[in-house]
Amino acid sequence: MIGGICTKFGDGVNTDVIMPGRYLVSIDPVELAEHVFEPLGPEVQARVRNSPVIVAGFNFGCGSAREQAASGLVGAGVVAVVAKSFARTFFRNAINTGLLAITQADASDAAADGVEVFVDLVNAVVVVGDSTYPFPAYPESLIEIIRAGGLIPYVSQKLSDGGVA
Amino acid sequence: MNLVEKILAKASGRQKVEPGDIVVANVDCLLLHDLSGYITSRVFENEVHRPMKYPERVVIVFDHHFSPPTESQARVLEETRAFARRHGVHLFDCGSGNIHHAGLRNGFIRPGAVIVGSDSHTPVHGAVGAFAAGLGNNSHAGMVMPFGKAWFRVPETIRIELSGHHKPGVTPRDSALWLTAQIGEGGAVYKALHFGGKYIKELDMWDRWLFPLITVDVGAKCGFIEPDEKTVQFMSEFTSNPYDLLYSDSDSDFQATWSYDISDLEPQVAASPTLGNVGPISVFAGREVQWAELGGHGGGRIEDIRQAAEILRGRHIANGVKFNVVPSSRQVFQQACDEGLVVDMFQAGCTWFPPSTGSNQAINMGAMAETESMVSTHARNFPGRNGSPKAKMYLSSAYTVAASAVRGVLSDPREFLA
Repeated sequence: MIGGICTKFGDGVNTDVIMPGRYLVSIDPVELAEHVFEPLGPEVQARVRNSPVIVAGFNFGCGSAREQAASGLVGAGVVAVVAKSFARTFFRNAINTGLLAITQADASDAAADGVEVFVDLVNAVVVVGDSTYPFPAYPESLIEIIRAGGLIPYVSQKLSDGGVA
Repeated sequence: MNLVEKILAKASGRQKVEPGDIVVANVDCLLLHDLSGYITSRVFENEVHRPMKYPERVVIVFDHHFSPPTESQARVLEETRAFARRHGVHLFDCGSGNIHHAGLRNGFIRPGAVIVGSDSHTPVHGAVGAFAAGLGNNSHAGMVMPFGKAWFRVPETIRIELSGHHKPGVTPRDSALWLTAQIGEGGAVYKALHFGGKYIKELDMWDRWLFPLITVDVGAKCGFIEPDEKTVQFMSEFTSNPYDLLYSDSDSDFQATWSYDISDLEPQVAASPTLGNVGPISVFAGREVQWAELGGHGGGRIEDIRQAAEILRGRHIANGVKFNVVPSSRQVFQQACDEGLVVDMFQAGCTWFPPSTGSNQAINMGAMAETESMVSTHARNFPGRNGSPKAKMYLSSAYTVAASAVRGVLSDPREFLA
Protein backbone atom coordinates (compact mmCIF):
# COMPACT_ATOMS: atom_id res chain seq x y z
CA MET A 1 0.00 0.00 0.00
CA ILE A 2 1.19 3.48 -0.77
CA GLY A 3 -0.28 6.79 0.26
CA GLY A 4 -0.53 9.18 3.17
CA ILE A 5 -2.07 12.58 3.83
CA CYS A 6 -4.17 13.89 0.94
CA THR A 7 -4.85 17.29 -0.54
CA LYS A 8 -8.35 17.54 -1.92
CA PHE A 9 -9.46 19.35 -5.08
CA GLY A 10 -12.77 19.75 -6.89
CA ASP A 11 -13.85 18.99 -10.48
CA GLY A 12 -12.08 19.88 -13.72
CA VAL A 13 -8.57 20.59 -12.44
CA ASN A 14 -6.74 21.38 -15.70
CA THR A 15 -3.10 20.86 -16.56
CA ASP A 16 -2.44 24.62 -16.89
CA VAL A 17 -3.17 24.85 -13.17
CA ILE A 18 -1.10 21.78 -12.36
CA MET A 19 1.89 22.92 -14.44
CA PRO A 20 1.86 26.35 -16.10
CA GLY A 21 2.96 26.40 -19.75
CA ARG A 22 5.92 28.69 -19.20
CA TYR A 23 7.81 25.96 -17.35
CA LEU A 24 7.33 23.25 -19.97
CA VAL A 25 10.84 23.53 -21.39
CA SER A 26 12.34 22.45 -18.07
CA ILE A 27 13.30 18.80 -17.75
CA ASP A 28 14.51 19.09 -14.19
CA PRO A 29 11.93 17.33 -12.00
CA VAL A 30 13.01 19.38 -8.99
CA GLU A 31 12.48 22.64 -10.83
CA LEU A 32 9.22 21.39 -12.30
CA ALA A 33 8.04 20.39 -8.83
CA GLU A 34 8.56 23.93 -7.60
CA HIS A 35 5.91 25.16 -10.02
CA VAL A 36 3.25 22.50 -9.41
CA PHE A 37 -0.07 24.24 -8.67
CA GLU A 38 1.65 27.62 -8.78
CA PRO A 39 -1.49 29.42 -10.07
CA LEU A 40 -3.29 28.37 -6.86
CA GLY A 41 -0.76 30.09 -4.62
CA PRO A 42 1.97 29.13 -2.13
CA GLU A 43 -0.39 27.80 0.54
CA VAL A 44 -1.83 25.11 -1.77
CA GLN A 45 1.68 24.36 -3.08
CA ALA A 46 3.00 23.81 0.44
CA ARG A 47 0.11 21.46 1.23
CA VAL A 48 0.66 19.42 -1.93
CA ARG A 49 4.37 19.11 -1.19
CA ASN A 50 3.49 17.58 2.18
CA SER A 51 0.83 15.21 0.91
CA PRO A 52 1.68 12.15 -1.19
CA VAL A 53 -1.93 11.74 -2.37
CA ILE A 54 -4.21 14.02 -4.35
CA VAL A 55 -7.96 13.48 -4.23
CA ALA A 56 -10.10 15.16 -6.87
CA GLY A 57 -13.50 15.22 -8.55
CA PHE A 58 -14.38 14.70 -12.21
CA ASN A 59 -12.07 15.12 -15.22
CA PHE A 60 -8.79 15.60 -13.36
CA GLY A 61 -5.96 16.68 -15.67
CA CYS A 62 -8.11 18.05 -18.49
CA GLY A 63 -6.80 20.44 -21.13
CA SER A 64 -3.27 20.38 -22.48
CA ALA A 65 -1.66 16.92 -22.88
CA ARG A 66 1.57 18.05 -21.21
CA GLU A 67 3.29 15.16 -19.50
CA GLN A 68 5.01 17.58 -17.13
CA ALA A 69 1.71 17.81 -15.23
CA ALA A 70 2.19 14.17 -14.20
CA SER A 71 5.98 14.22 -13.88
CA GLY A 72 5.83 17.49 -11.90
CA LEU A 73 3.47 15.83 -9.40
CA VAL A 74 5.88 12.90 -9.13
CA GLY A 75 8.69 15.39 -8.54
CA ALA A 76 6.65 17.04 -5.79
CA GLY A 77 6.37 13.69 -4.02
CA VAL A 78 2.85 12.73 -5.09
CA VAL A 79 2.49 8.97 -5.51
CA ALA A 80 -1.21 8.63 -6.31
CA VAL A 81 -4.18 10.62 -7.55
CA VAL A 82 -7.65 9.33 -6.64
CA ALA A 83 -10.39 11.02 -8.66
CA LYS A 84 -13.96 10.56 -9.84
CA SER A 85 -12.65 10.56 -13.42
CA PHE A 86 -9.52 11.49 -15.39
CA ALA A 87 -8.88 13.16 -18.70
CA ARG A 88 -7.49 10.40 -20.92
CA THR A 89 -4.22 12.19 -21.73
CA PHE A 90 -3.50 12.71 -18.03
CA PHE A 91 -4.30 9.08 -17.23
CA ARG A 92 -1.92 7.89 -19.95
CA ASN A 93 0.80 10.30 -18.85
CA ALA A 94 0.39 9.24 -15.23
CA ILE A 95 0.93 5.57 -16.07
CA ASN A 96 3.85 6.41 -18.33
CA THR A 97 5.57 8.40 -15.57
CA GLY A 98 4.86 5.87 -12.83
CA LEU A 99 2.11 7.83 -11.05
CA LEU A 100 -0.95 5.92 -9.83
CA ALA A 101 -4.23 7.31 -11.18
CA ILE A 102 -7.20 5.62 -9.54
CA THR A 103 -10.83 6.22 -10.51
CA GLN A 104 -12.96 5.78 -7.38
CA ALA A 105 -15.82 8.24 -6.90
CA ASP A 106 -16.92 7.09 -3.42
CA ALA A 107 -13.39 7.30 -2.05
CA SER A 108 -13.12 10.77 -3.55
CA ASP A 109 -16.31 11.81 -1.71
CA ALA A 110 -15.22 10.14 1.52
CA ALA A 111 -11.75 11.68 1.69
CA ALA A 112 -11.67 15.07 3.38
CA ASP A 113 -8.74 17.39 2.88
CA GLY A 114 -5.86 16.31 5.13
CA VAL A 115 -7.01 12.75 5.92
CA GLU A 116 -4.87 9.74 5.09
CA VAL A 117 -5.62 7.87 1.86
CA PHE A 118 -3.87 4.68 0.78
CA VAL A 119 -3.95 2.73 -2.48
CA ASP A 120 -3.47 -1.02 -2.58
CA LEU A 121 -2.77 -1.89 -6.19
CA VAL A 122 -2.61 -5.65 -5.63
CA ASN A 123 -6.01 -5.92 -3.98
CA ALA A 124 -7.37 -2.99 -6.02
CA VAL A 125 -8.77 -0.98 -3.12
CA VAL A 126 -8.52 2.58 -1.90
CA VAL A 127 -8.43 2.90 1.88
CA VAL A 128 -9.83 6.07 3.47
CA GLY A 129 -9.81 5.92 7.28
CA ASP A 130 -11.53 2.66 8.25
CA SER A 131 -13.30 2.19 4.94
CA THR A 132 -12.11 0.42 1.81
CA TYR A 133 -13.31 1.21 -1.69
CA PRO A 134 -12.68 -1.35 -4.47
CA PHE A 135 -11.80 -0.26 -7.99
CA PRO A 136 -11.49 -2.32 -11.20
CA ALA A 137 -7.97 -3.78 -11.08
CA TYR A 138 -5.40 -2.36 -13.50
CA PRO A 139 -4.56 -4.76 -16.33
CA GLU A 140 -1.31 -6.62 -15.62
CA SER A 141 0.50 -4.65 -18.37
CA LEU A 142 -0.24 -1.34 -16.64
CA ILE A 143 0.81 -2.72 -13.24
CA GLU A 144 4.11 -3.75 -14.82
CA ILE A 145 4.65 -0.24 -16.23
CA ILE A 146 3.87 1.34 -12.84
CA ARG A 147 6.17 -1.12 -11.04
CA ALA A 148 8.99 -0.34 -13.47
CA GLY A 149 8.55 3.36 -12.70
CA GLY A 150 7.06 4.35 -16.05
CA LEU A 151 6.98 3.46 -19.74
CA ILE A 152 10.63 4.10 -20.61
CA PRO A 153 12.11 2.04 -17.76
CA TYR A 154 9.52 -0.63 -18.61
CA VAL A 155 10.49 -0.78 -22.29
CA SER A 156 14.22 -0.80 -21.40
CA GLN A 157 13.60 -3.62 -18.93
CA LYS A 158 11.65 -5.63 -21.51
CA LEU A 159 14.42 -5.19 -24.05
CA SER A 160 17.15 -6.23 -21.64
CA ASP A 161 15.03 -9.24 -20.67
CA GLY A 162 15.15 -10.25 -24.33
CA GLY A 163 11.50 -9.41 -24.91
CA VAL A 164 10.27 -7.62 -27.99
CA ALA A 165 8.67 -4.21 -27.59
CA MET B 1 -15.73 -1.20 -38.86
CA ASN B 2 -15.75 2.55 -38.86
CA LEU B 3 -12.95 4.73 -40.19
CA VAL B 4 -10.92 4.90 -36.97
CA GLU B 5 -11.24 1.15 -36.40
CA LYS B 6 -10.10 0.48 -39.98
CA ILE B 7 -7.09 2.76 -39.61
CA LEU B 8 -6.05 1.17 -36.32
CA ALA B 9 -6.58 -2.36 -37.69
CA LYS B 10 -4.46 -1.65 -40.74
CA ALA B 11 -1.74 0.10 -38.75
CA SER B 12 -1.48 -2.82 -36.33
CA GLY B 13 -1.60 -5.57 -38.95
CA ARG B 14 -4.99 -6.92 -37.92
CA GLN B 15 -7.99 -7.94 -39.97
CA LYS B 16 -10.38 -6.48 -37.46
CA VAL B 17 -10.42 -4.51 -34.22
CA GLU B 18 -13.20 -3.75 -31.78
CA PRO B 19 -13.64 -1.05 -29.16
CA GLY B 20 -11.66 -2.00 -26.06
CA ASP B 21 -8.92 -3.86 -27.96
CA ILE B 22 -5.39 -2.72 -27.17
CA VAL B 23 -3.35 -2.40 -30.35
CA VAL B 24 0.25 -1.45 -31.07
CA ALA B 25 0.04 0.63 -34.23
CA ASN B 26 2.60 1.92 -36.69
CA VAL B 27 2.78 5.70 -36.51
CA ASP B 28 2.90 7.67 -39.77
CA CYS B 29 3.71 11.06 -38.30
CA LEU B 30 4.88 12.39 -34.95
CA LEU B 31 4.21 16.13 -34.55
CA LEU B 32 6.09 18.05 -31.87
CA HIS B 33 6.22 21.75 -31.14
CA ASP B 34 8.92 23.76 -29.42
CA LEU B 35 7.34 23.22 -25.99
CA SER B 36 7.38 19.43 -26.34
CA GLY B 37 10.24 18.83 -28.78
CA TYR B 38 12.99 19.76 -26.36
CA ILE B 39 11.90 17.62 -23.44
CA THR B 40 11.10 14.70 -25.75
CA SER B 41 14.56 15.01 -27.32
CA ARG B 42 16.26 15.03 -23.91
CA VAL B 43 14.35 11.98 -22.69
CA PHE B 44 15.01 10.14 -25.97
CA GLU B 45 18.75 10.78 -25.92
CA ASN B 46 19.36 10.52 -22.16
CA GLU B 47 17.15 7.56 -21.31
CA VAL B 48 16.27 5.56 -24.41
CA HIS B 49 19.70 5.17 -26.08
CA ARG B 50 18.43 3.74 -29.35
CA PRO B 51 18.49 5.11 -32.88
CA MET B 52 15.56 7.03 -34.33
CA LYS B 53 13.66 4.44 -36.34
CA TYR B 54 11.93 6.68 -38.89
CA PRO B 55 13.35 10.21 -38.71
CA GLU B 56 11.44 11.13 -41.86
CA ARG B 57 8.17 10.70 -39.94
CA VAL B 58 9.13 13.10 -37.13
CA VAL B 59 8.21 16.78 -37.51
CA ILE B 60 9.15 19.57 -35.10
CA VAL B 61 7.58 23.02 -35.52
CA PHE B 62 8.73 26.06 -33.53
CA ASP B 63 5.33 27.70 -33.23
CA HIS B 64 5.15 29.11 -29.69
CA HIS B 65 8.43 30.97 -30.01
CA PHE B 66 8.65 33.07 -33.13
CA SER B 67 11.56 35.10 -31.73
CA PRO B 68 12.76 33.82 -28.34
CA PRO B 69 12.49 36.44 -25.58
CA THR B 70 15.21 35.10 -23.27
CA GLU B 71 18.62 33.53 -23.57
CA SER B 72 17.47 30.31 -21.95
CA GLN B 73 14.64 29.95 -24.46
CA ALA B 74 17.06 30.69 -27.32
CA ARG B 75 19.25 27.88 -25.97
CA VAL B 76 16.32 25.45 -25.86
CA LEU B 77 15.62 26.15 -29.52
CA GLU B 78 19.30 25.82 -30.45
CA GLU B 79 19.55 22.46 -28.69
CA THR B 80 16.38 21.29 -30.41
CA ARG B 81 17.79 22.37 -33.80
CA ALA B 82 20.96 20.37 -33.05
CA PHE B 83 18.80 17.36 -32.10
CA ALA B 84 16.90 17.64 -35.38
CA ARG B 85 20.18 17.72 -37.32
CA ARG B 86 21.67 14.78 -35.37
CA HIS B 87 18.73 12.55 -36.12
CA GLY B 88 17.65 13.92 -39.48
CA VAL B 89 14.11 14.82 -38.42
CA HIS B 90 12.13 17.62 -40.08
CA LEU B 91 12.31 21.04 -38.46
CA PHE B 92 10.14 24.05 -39.28
CA ASP B 93 11.83 26.96 -37.58
CA CYS B 94 10.44 30.17 -36.05
CA GLY B 95 8.01 31.92 -38.37
CA SER B 96 6.74 28.76 -40.07
CA GLY B 97 3.24 28.97 -38.59
CA ASN B 98 1.14 26.92 -36.20
CA ILE B 99 2.19 23.28 -35.68
CA HIS B 100 -0.98 21.77 -37.16
CA HIS B 101 -1.11 24.09 -40.14
CA ALA B 102 2.60 23.55 -40.86
CA GLY B 103 2.26 19.77 -40.52
CA LEU B 104 -0.70 19.64 -42.88
CA ARG B 105 0.51 22.17 -45.44
CA ASN B 106 3.88 20.45 -45.74
CA GLY B 107 2.33 17.11 -46.61
CA PHE B 108 2.84 15.17 -43.37
CA ILE B 109 -0.86 14.68 -42.65
CA ARG B 110 -2.79 12.31 -44.90
CA PRO B 111 -6.16 10.58 -44.87
CA GLY B 112 -6.01 7.08 -43.39
CA ALA B 113 -2.79 7.81 -41.48
CA VAL B 114 -1.94 7.45 -37.78
CA ILE B 115 -0.85 10.85 -36.45
CA VAL B 116 0.38 11.42 -32.89
CA GLY B 117 1.71 14.47 -31.14
CA SER B 118 2.15 15.99 -27.74
CA ASP B 119 -0.01 18.96 -28.55
CA SER B 120 -3.42 18.14 -27.14
CA HIS B 121 -5.18 19.55 -30.22
CA THR B 122 -3.48 16.97 -32.46
CA PRO B 123 -6.91 15.29 -33.01
CA VAL B 124 -7.71 18.19 -35.38
CA HIS B 125 -6.23 16.04 -38.16
CA GLY B 126 -9.26 13.80 -38.06
CA ALA B 127 -10.71 16.52 -40.31
CA VAL B 128 -9.07 14.85 -43.31
CA GLY B 129 -9.95 11.31 -42.23
CA ALA B 130 -6.79 10.48 -40.27
CA PHE B 131 -6.62 8.88 -36.81
CA ALA B 132 -4.91 11.54 -34.71
CA ALA B 133 -4.41 11.61 -30.95
CA GLY B 134 -2.43 13.52 -28.35
CA LEU B 135 0.08 11.52 -26.27
CA GLY B 136 2.69 12.48 -23.70
CA ASN B 137 6.44 12.84 -24.20
CA ASN B 138 7.35 9.43 -22.78
CA SER B 139 5.12 7.71 -25.33
CA HIS B 140 7.00 9.52 -28.09
CA ALA B 141 10.50 9.10 -26.66
CA GLY B 142 9.98 5.51 -25.49
CA MET B 143 7.93 4.01 -28.32
CA VAL B 144 7.43 6.26 -31.36
CA MET B 145 11.01 7.46 -31.84
CA PRO B 146 12.82 4.13 -31.29
CA PHE B 147 10.21 1.75 -32.73
CA GLY B 148 7.84 3.87 -34.86
CA LYS B 149 4.92 2.57 -32.81
CA ALA B 150 2.40 3.60 -30.17
CA TRP B 151 -0.16 1.64 -28.17
CA PHE B 152 -3.84 2.56 -28.25
CA ARG B 153 -7.04 1.33 -26.77
CA VAL B 154 -9.55 1.24 -29.64
CA PRO B 155 -12.17 3.81 -28.63
CA GLU B 156 -15.93 3.52 -28.73
CA THR B 157 -17.36 5.88 -31.32
CA ILE B 158 -20.13 8.41 -30.90
CA ARG B 159 -21.73 9.90 -33.98
CA ILE B 160 -22.24 13.66 -33.83
CA GLU B 161 -24.91 14.50 -36.38
CA LEU B 162 -25.08 18.19 -37.23
CA SER B 163 -27.76 19.88 -39.29
CA GLY B 164 -29.05 23.34 -40.11
CA HIS B 165 -27.78 26.59 -41.59
CA HIS B 166 -26.27 29.55 -39.77
CA LYS B 167 -28.04 32.82 -39.40
CA PRO B 168 -26.07 35.75 -40.90
CA GLY B 169 -23.13 36.77 -38.71
CA VAL B 170 -22.89 33.31 -37.14
CA THR B 171 -19.96 31.10 -38.15
CA PRO B 172 -18.76 27.49 -37.84
CA ARG B 173 -16.58 28.61 -34.92
CA ASP B 174 -19.73 29.67 -33.07
CA SER B 175 -21.17 26.21 -33.73
CA ALA B 176 -18.02 24.52 -32.47
CA LEU B 177 -17.93 26.61 -29.26
CA TRP B 178 -21.61 25.88 -28.67
CA LEU B 179 -21.13 22.17 -29.36
CA THR B 180 -18.33 22.02 -26.77
CA ALA B 181 -20.80 23.15 -24.13
CA GLN B 182 -23.55 20.82 -25.39
CA ILE B 183 -21.32 17.74 -25.18
CA GLY B 184 -19.72 19.12 -22.03
CA GLU B 185 -16.13 19.11 -20.82
CA GLY B 186 -15.46 15.49 -20.02
CA GLY B 187 -18.72 14.58 -21.78
CA ALA B 188 -17.04 12.16 -24.18
CA VAL B 189 -14.00 10.90 -22.27
CA TYR B 190 -11.99 8.28 -24.24
CA LYS B 191 -14.46 8.30 -27.15
CA ALA B 192 -13.93 8.79 -30.85
CA LEU B 193 -16.31 11.42 -32.22
CA HIS B 194 -17.55 10.94 -35.76
CA PHE B 195 -18.68 14.35 -37.02
CA GLY B 196 -21.20 14.07 -39.83
CA GLY B 197 -24.51 15.19 -41.19
CA LYS B 198 -25.53 17.66 -43.84
CA TYR B 199 -24.04 20.62 -42.00
CA ILE B 200 -20.53 19.10 -41.90
CA LYS B 201 -20.80 17.88 -45.49
CA GLU B 202 -21.51 21.40 -46.71
CA LEU B 203 -18.62 23.05 -44.85
CA ASP B 204 -15.34 23.87 -46.54
CA MET B 205 -12.30 21.97 -45.24
CA TRP B 206 -10.85 24.69 -43.03
CA ASP B 207 -14.24 25.08 -41.38
CA ARG B 208 -14.60 21.32 -40.94
CA TRP B 209 -11.29 21.57 -39.08
CA LEU B 210 -12.92 23.40 -36.19
CA PHE B 211 -14.88 20.30 -35.12
CA PRO B 212 -12.23 17.63 -34.54
CA LEU B 213 -10.35 20.51 -32.89
CA ILE B 214 -12.76 20.48 -29.93
CA THR B 215 -12.55 16.75 -29.21
CA VAL B 216 -9.84 16.99 -26.55
CA ASP B 217 -11.81 19.61 -24.71
CA VAL B 218 -14.80 17.32 -24.33
CA GLY B 219 -12.43 14.57 -23.18
CA ALA B 220 -12.45 12.54 -26.40
CA LYS B 221 -9.46 10.66 -27.78
CA CYS B 222 -10.01 11.66 -31.38
CA GLY B 223 -12.55 13.03 -33.81
CA PHE B 224 -12.95 12.41 -37.49
CA ILE B 225 -14.86 13.30 -40.62
CA GLU B 226 -15.40 10.91 -43.52
CA PRO B 227 -13.23 11.91 -46.48
CA ASP B 228 -15.06 13.02 -49.61
CA GLU B 229 -14.32 14.84 -52.86
CA LYS B 230 -13.59 18.04 -50.90
CA THR B 231 -10.98 16.15 -48.85
CA VAL B 232 -9.27 14.82 -51.98
CA GLN B 233 -9.22 18.26 -53.58
CA PHE B 234 -7.88 19.79 -50.33
CA MET B 235 -5.11 17.22 -49.99
CA SER B 236 -3.98 17.76 -53.57
CA GLU B 237 -2.87 21.26 -52.56
CA PHE B 238 -0.39 19.86 -50.04
CA THR B 239 0.92 16.50 -51.17
CA SER B 240 1.33 14.36 -54.24
CA ASN B 241 2.23 11.31 -52.14
CA PRO B 242 -0.31 8.51 -52.29
CA TYR B 243 -2.59 7.77 -49.36
CA ASP B 244 -5.33 5.32 -48.49
CA LEU B 245 -8.82 6.68 -48.66
CA LEU B 246 -10.61 4.61 -46.03
CA TYR B 247 -14.30 5.02 -45.21
CA SER B 248 -16.54 3.73 -42.46
CA ASP B 249 -18.62 0.72 -43.51
CA SER B 250 -22.21 1.71 -44.12
CA ASP B 251 -23.31 -0.72 -41.40
CA SER B 252 -20.72 0.37 -38.82
CA ASP B 253 -22.49 1.03 -35.57
CA PHE B 254 -21.98 3.71 -32.98
CA GLN B 255 -22.23 3.59 -29.24
CA ALA B 256 -24.64 6.52 -29.53
CA THR B 257 -25.74 9.19 -31.96
CA TRP B 258 -26.12 12.72 -30.69
CA SER B 259 -27.93 15.11 -33.04
CA TYR B 260 -27.80 18.89 -33.02
CA ASP B 261 -29.39 21.59 -35.16
CA ILE B 262 -27.41 24.83 -35.26
CA SER B 263 -30.03 26.92 -37.10
CA ASP B 264 -31.08 29.01 -34.11
CA LEU B 265 -27.59 29.82 -32.84
CA GLU B 266 -26.56 33.36 -31.98
CA PRO B 267 -22.85 34.30 -32.01
CA GLN B 268 -21.27 32.41 -29.09
CA VAL B 269 -18.64 33.28 -26.47
CA ALA B 270 -16.68 30.89 -24.21
CA ALA B 271 -15.64 32.88 -21.13
CA SER B 272 -12.92 32.03 -18.60
CA PRO B 273 -12.52 29.89 -16.56
CA THR B 274 -13.56 26.96 -18.80
CA LEU B 275 -14.44 26.01 -22.36
CA GLY B 276 -17.82 24.79 -21.27
CA ASN B 277 -18.71 28.25 -19.99
CA VAL B 278 -20.39 29.16 -23.27
CA GLY B 279 -23.28 31.49 -23.91
CA PRO B 280 -24.71 33.73 -26.62
CA ILE B 281 -23.01 37.10 -27.10
CA SER B 282 -25.99 38.83 -25.47
CA VAL B 283 -24.97 37.32 -22.10
CA PHE B 284 -21.46 38.78 -22.28
CA ALA B 285 -21.97 41.95 -24.34
CA GLY B 286 -20.60 45.10 -22.70
CA ARG B 287 -17.65 43.50 -20.89
CA GLU B 288 -14.46 45.45 -21.50
CA VAL B 289 -11.58 44.05 -23.54
CA GLN B 290 -8.15 45.59 -23.97
CA TRP B 291 -6.75 42.89 -26.23
CA ALA B 292 -8.07 41.22 -29.36
CA GLU B 293 -6.32 38.46 -31.29
CA LEU B 294 -6.81 36.32 -34.34
CA GLY B 295 -4.55 33.32 -33.83
CA GLY B 296 -4.13 30.00 -32.10
CA HIS B 297 -4.56 26.39 -33.18
CA GLY B 298 -7.86 26.92 -34.94
CA GLY B 299 -7.54 30.67 -35.52
CA GLY B 300 -5.47 32.80 -37.88
CA ARG B 301 -6.94 31.09 -40.94
CA ILE B 302 -7.62 33.18 -44.03
CA GLU B 303 -11.33 32.74 -43.24
CA ASP B 304 -10.81 34.45 -39.86
CA ILE B 305 -8.84 37.31 -41.35
CA ARG B 306 -11.45 37.86 -44.07
CA GLN B 307 -14.24 37.98 -41.49
CA ALA B 308 -12.40 40.48 -39.31
CA ALA B 309 -11.55 42.65 -42.32
CA GLU B 310 -15.19 42.65 -43.37
CA ILE B 311 -15.98 44.47 -40.13
CA LEU B 312 -12.80 46.52 -39.81
CA ARG B 313 -12.58 47.87 -43.36
CA GLY B 314 -13.23 51.60 -43.11
CA ARG B 315 -13.39 51.46 -39.31
CA HIS B 316 -10.83 51.77 -36.53
CA ILE B 317 -10.40 49.78 -33.33
CA ALA B 318 -11.25 51.59 -30.09
CA ASN B 319 -8.78 53.64 -28.08
CA GLY B 320 -7.00 51.41 -25.61
CA VAL B 321 -7.57 48.21 -27.60
CA LYS B 322 -4.59 46.32 -29.04
CA PHE B 323 -5.54 43.94 -31.89
CA ASN B 324 -2.88 41.38 -32.83
CA VAL B 325 -3.24 39.36 -36.01
CA VAL B 326 -1.32 36.08 -36.22
CA PRO B 327 -1.49 34.17 -39.50
CA SER B 328 -1.57 30.41 -39.02
CA SER B 329 0.93 29.83 -41.82
CA ARG B 330 3.15 31.69 -44.24
CA GLN B 331 0.72 30.79 -47.02
CA VAL B 332 -2.11 32.52 -45.15
CA PHE B 333 -0.03 35.66 -44.76
CA GLN B 334 0.75 35.59 -48.50
CA GLN B 335 -2.96 35.21 -49.23
CA ALA B 336 -3.79 38.10 -46.89
CA CYS B 337 -1.21 40.24 -48.75
CA ASP B 338 -2.68 39.26 -52.12
CA GLU B 339 -6.23 40.06 -51.02
CA GLY B 340 -5.30 43.45 -49.56
CA LEU B 341 -6.25 42.32 -46.06
CA VAL B 342 -2.87 43.16 -44.55
CA VAL B 343 -3.33 46.82 -45.38
CA ASP B 344 -7.02 46.83 -44.42
CA MET B 345 -6.28 45.43 -40.97
CA PHE B 346 -3.23 47.63 -40.45
CA GLN B 347 -5.17 50.78 -41.29
CA ALA B 348 -7.87 49.77 -38.82
CA GLY B 349 -5.18 49.81 -36.11
CA CYS B 350 -4.21 46.12 -35.99
CA THR B 351 -0.65 44.82 -35.56
CA TRP B 352 0.60 41.87 -37.62
CA PHE B 353 2.61 39.18 -35.89
CA PRO B 354 4.72 36.41 -37.47
CA PRO B 355 3.07 33.16 -38.56
CA SER B 356 2.96 31.10 -35.36
CA THR B 357 0.49 29.90 -32.76
CA GLY B 358 0.21 33.42 -31.36
CA SER B 359 -0.30 34.03 -27.67
CA ASN B 360 -1.23 30.43 -26.83
CA GLN B 361 0.18 30.16 -23.26
CA ALA B 362 1.83 33.58 -23.64
CA ILE B 363 5.26 32.16 -24.49
CA ASN B 364 6.28 34.91 -26.88
CA MET B 365 3.33 37.33 -26.69
CA GLY B 366 -0.06 37.86 -25.12
CA ALA B 367 0.54 37.95 -21.34
CA MET B 368 -2.03 39.98 -19.42
CA ALA B 369 -2.09 41.74 -16.07
CA GLU B 370 -4.89 40.86 -13.69
CA THR B 371 -7.05 43.81 -14.78
CA GLU B 372 -6.92 42.89 -18.47
CA SER B 373 -9.13 40.85 -20.79
CA MET B 374 -8.75 39.43 -24.28
CA VAL B 375 -11.20 38.32 -26.94
CA SER B 376 -9.68 35.87 -29.39
CA THR B 377 -10.06 32.89 -31.70
CA HIS B 378 -7.83 30.79 -29.44
CA ALA B 379 -8.75 27.29 -28.36
CA ARG B 380 -8.43 27.65 -24.57
CA ASN B 381 -9.42 30.14 -21.87
CA PHE B 382 -8.05 28.60 -18.67
CA PRO B 383 -6.98 31.03 -15.91
CA GLY B 384 -3.26 31.77 -15.88
CA ARG B 385 -2.73 30.64 -19.45
CA ASN B 386 -2.13 34.21 -20.57
CA GLY B 387 -0.40 35.85 -17.63
CA SER B 388 -2.37 36.59 -14.48
CA PRO B 389 -4.85 33.92 -13.34
CA LYS B 390 -7.26 36.83 -12.84
CA ALA B 391 -7.03 38.02 -16.46
CA LYS B 392 -9.98 36.98 -18.62
CA MET B 393 -10.01 35.25 -22.00
CA TYR B 394 -13.14 35.25 -24.17
CA LEU B 395 -13.18 32.89 -27.14
CA SER B 396 -15.36 33.74 -30.12
CA SER B 397 -15.56 33.97 -33.90
CA ALA B 398 -13.34 36.40 -35.81
CA TYR B 399 -16.46 38.50 -36.46
CA THR B 400 -17.06 38.88 -32.73
CA VAL B 401 -13.36 39.56 -32.07
CA ALA B 402 -13.39 42.40 -34.64
CA ALA B 403 -16.71 43.89 -33.51
CA SER B 404 -15.53 43.87 -29.89
CA ALA B 405 -12.22 45.51 -30.84
CA VAL B 406 -14.09 48.35 -32.56
CA ARG B 407 -16.20 49.06 -29.46
CA GLY B 408 -13.71 48.13 -26.73
CA VAL B 409 -16.36 45.91 -25.19
CA LEU B 410 -17.69 42.47 -26.17
CA SER B 411 -20.12 43.21 -28.99
CA ASP B 412 -22.57 41.45 -31.28
CA PRO B 413 -20.99 41.42 -34.76
CA ARG B 414 -24.41 41.49 -36.45
CA GLU B 415 -24.64 45.17 -35.54
CA PHE B 416 -21.76 45.72 -37.99
CA LEU B 417 -22.88 43.35 -40.73
CA ALA B 418 -25.92 45.04 -42.17
